[in-house]
Amino acid sequence: MLSVKKDQKPFMAKFKLSYIAMLIVLILLAISALPNLYPNKSWLHVNSAPHSETQAVPSTQALVTFLNNQGLDVEQGLDKQSTINILLNEPTKSAQAQAVIKAQYPNTQVKIVEHATSPIWLQEFGLSPIKLGLDLNGGVLFVLDVDLDKAIDEQLASAYQQAKSIIIKQKAHGLKAQQTGHGFEINALPNAVQKLTPVIDELQSRFANLAVTTTNNGNVKNAKFSYSEQGRSNFDKKVMSQTLTTLRSRIEELGITEAVTQRQGTQRIRIELPGVQDPTEAKRIIGATASLGFYQLKEIGGQTFNMQSGGTINLDPVPIFTGEHINNANIGRDDWGKPLVQLSLDGQGGDAMSAFSKANIGKPMATVYSEYSQNAKGETVKKSEVINVANIAQHLSSHFSITNMKSQQAAADLALLLRAGSLTAPVTIVHEQTIGPSLGQENITNGLAALMLGMGITLAFMAMWYRRLGLIANVALLLNLTSLVGLMSLLPGVVLTLPGIAGLVLTIGMAVDTNVIIFERIKEERRKGRSAYQAIQEGYKQAANTIFDANITTMITALILYGIGYGPVKGFAITLALGLITSVFTGVYVSKVLSQTLYLKLAKKAGVNAHA
Amino acid sequence: MLNTFLKGEAGTRLRFSGMLLSAILVLLSVFTLSQKGLNFGLDFTGGYLTEFTTSQGVELKQLEQFITKNHNGEFELTAQGNNHFQLREAPSGSTANSNDWQSAITQNADINAEVLSSAYIGSQVGDELFEQGCLALFSAMIAVMLYLAVRFEWRLAVGSVVALVHDLLLVLGLFSLLSIEFNLTVLASLLAIIGYSLNDSIIVGDRVRELLRVKSNNALSPASIINSAIKSTLTRTLITSGTTLATVASVWLLAGAPLQGFAIALFTGIVVGTFSSICIAATLPELLGLSAKNYEEKQDAETQALLDMP
Repeated sequence: MLSVKKDQKPFMAKFKLSYIAMLIVLILLAISALPNLYPNKSWLHVNSAPHSETQAVPSTQALVTFLNNQGLDVEQGLDKQSTINILLNEPTKSAQAQAVIKAQYPNTQVKIVEHATSPIWLQEFGLSPIKLGLDLNGGVLFVLDVDLDKAIDEQLASAYQQAKSIIIKQKAHGLKAQQTGHGFEINALPNAVQKLTPVIDELQSRFANLAVTTTNNGNVKNAKFSYSEQGRSNFDKKVMSQTLTTLRSRIEELGITEAVTQRQGTQRIRIELPGVQDPTEAKRIIGATASLGFYQLKEIGGQTFNMQSGGTINLDPVPIFTGEHINNANIGRDDWGKPLVQLSLDGQGGDAMSAFSKANIGKPMATVYSEYSQNAKGETVKKSEVINVANIAQHLSSHFSITNMKSQQAAADLALLLRAGSLTAPVTIVHEQTIGPSLGQENITNGLAALMLGMGITLAFMAMWYRRLGLIANVALLLNLTSLVGLMSLLPGVVLTLPGIAGLVLTIGMAVDTNVIIFERIKEERRKGRSAYQAIQEGYKQAANTIFDANITTMITALILYGIGYGPVKGFAITLALGLITSVFTGVYVSKVLSQTLYLKLAKKAGVNAHA
Repeated sequence: MLNTFLKGEAGTRLRFSGMLLSAILVLLSVFTLSQKGLNFGLDFTGGYLTEFTTSQGVELKQLEQFITKNHNGEFELTAQGNNHFQLREAPSGSTANSNDWQSAITQNADINAEVLSSAYIGSQVGDELFEQGCLALFSAMIAVMLYLAVRFEWRLAVGSVVALVHDLLLVLGLFSLLSIEFNLTVLASLLAIIGYSLNDSIIVGDRVRELLRVKSNNALSPASIINSAIKSTLTRTLITSGTTLATVASVWLLAGAPLQGFAIALFTGIVVGTFSSICIAATLPELLGLSAKNYEEKQDAETQALLDMP
């Protein structure tokens, strides 16, 4: 007896330690899965629009009555400081309610915000339900194509213009700038060669990624400017991250919370706007390329611009400052009631403006509004227009206004775009999708029904086929589902989509495979005449290799799917990959502990030494 | 019954006739694919797709006539059942006219449609997606083949990969034959099929390897070893395929139109995958000359290495 105990003790200790670790993992994952029992609810947040002139929010009571009259039954209306929170009986109609409120009370801002309904202690742990993809939640999807080629052309064109003005400024006679196929070049006559270097230096300080190659062509020294591969990729990277930042702040300005904005491939941006139902406003703002620049007028030379009122005007190609130095922009009205945009500049812009206006009192300054648009051939072209030319009446500081706006809407859009920043590259929408909230709800219900049925069949079959072992497999299967849901809720960036639910259902069907392989092995070992306990030990050991190989290959495909696909397909790949991990964990390790414990106990009860 | 069949000569005969059947089916699939091609969905072709429901039952023809009046481009209207319709337009059509017909059908009292979802995909996105999808398929296949060649004998790896290509071709053939829409989720299911088809092949191959390594089996012919490997894994293969098929069938039945193609592809994939794991993945290595010797040498080298260790 003693010797047996000695043998068993370290084994039991090891067994217990792994048992405890396993239990902790399972409990943690189960707790993470808990919030999914309390789905988020969409509330409407109504407050006064931050950039409007008047503050006019209806009372909570008035708003509730108004919505009820519109056939949108309100379940709860709360008055929280300056914001009214409203929960509808049918939260899927939130987008409809949003539109109705906006139409009735134009000076309000209405946001759809997800509220967690899980117990406070779960929220305090930072646990939340799995994020739902657009196909389950309803919303709008945009995929934008960023025209990097156009952006680099623009950059080169601007560099060319600036090169010309630098040559004039530095009085470098004998230098001549010329446009070429892939950029531009400066030719220096023999007597002006020494003037070339300062011009190149000045240009390169303004355009960091511009590459120069100089050659001697007889007496003439020639400097070619273009973007090297390295410079090009730096430029592309910068443009993409700038575009992403700008788009994010624009979406924020639109009052859309929980939007997903990410890069897709080299020059695409994917924007998911959950809860949004009318894409027109979002489309107008997101795709807008309007930018603003302030220029000095030129009598001789300079670049020719079109005037909005007709005619042309010559301006210095180098702006005094551009829209990026604008800190804040609000709409307002001038003395005649015409819409205007009030600007406040940041430090750098303010300094530039202050210095310029001080030196140029009484002289005119032009405001240029540029926008990309598609011409008849479908090509993207930049359209720049001088919207106003005003004499500088006094020394201006960082606050001033732009008048002569076409309409209230144009003023409001420009103010928003100036606040959010402008895009350096034109963007086109290449994929647009709107999924109604009712369709999303339908998808969830259908997906869950499929999950229930698939799981029911599997559980019933396993219980009938394997009896007692089947019970273990079923416990392992349920633990697998809990762990998978827990893991998916825990990991940031995991989004559940409809194909993702299909992946979940498939995982359930496939997860039993692990157990089936093991159980068939155990049966075989039993047939060879091994004891129950030994058969279990051997069965798990023998099957481990097979299970490893089988799952690794599926994992390879899941990872490739994740790396290459996006959107719903990515959701499917994530579920598949995580499902493989949890099914090996529960199918091999947890069910091994379960079956060992079960048989050890049974063996003890029967009074037989398990090792005999 | 099947077990007794598989045990002896009959089992081998069954496997080879199964392989012949597979070859015929593959030829048929390639034929339909080359003749009919695939019915590519919006994901790949690009264009506009609008889904809507009508409150009352409306005849498809009637609806088509009504929309034609309010639509100046070309479109394709299909009924999805249950007053549910889908309208597809070519990518070049301007957005302006597509809005005309939408407001017309939502405002018409007889139709009273509700737009459930609308999508626009640029045609160049579709082309890129198709390239990416093919790239994913090929890279998955190559990665898996490499893994198998390292883990198993090359003959078994070739058998598994041929079985895999067979499964994919049959699924594609079915999609082409029945003109089922081939979209992004179907592509995803093809990749999932790669995983599952290999799973079955690996389980059988694993057992073949195990039996070949047992010295006492040296006297047996490869055919009978393969037969007994299939026999001992048959229960497992049938159970797993059965439960997976049951879950896929429940997705097919309940998860609705968006996952229909996905479920059909997986269902067929699993059925033909189970079939090919027996008739191709296990049979082809035999034709390629698999024998216990392939493992003997390897094992000897391994034991030699072990013995050489200090």
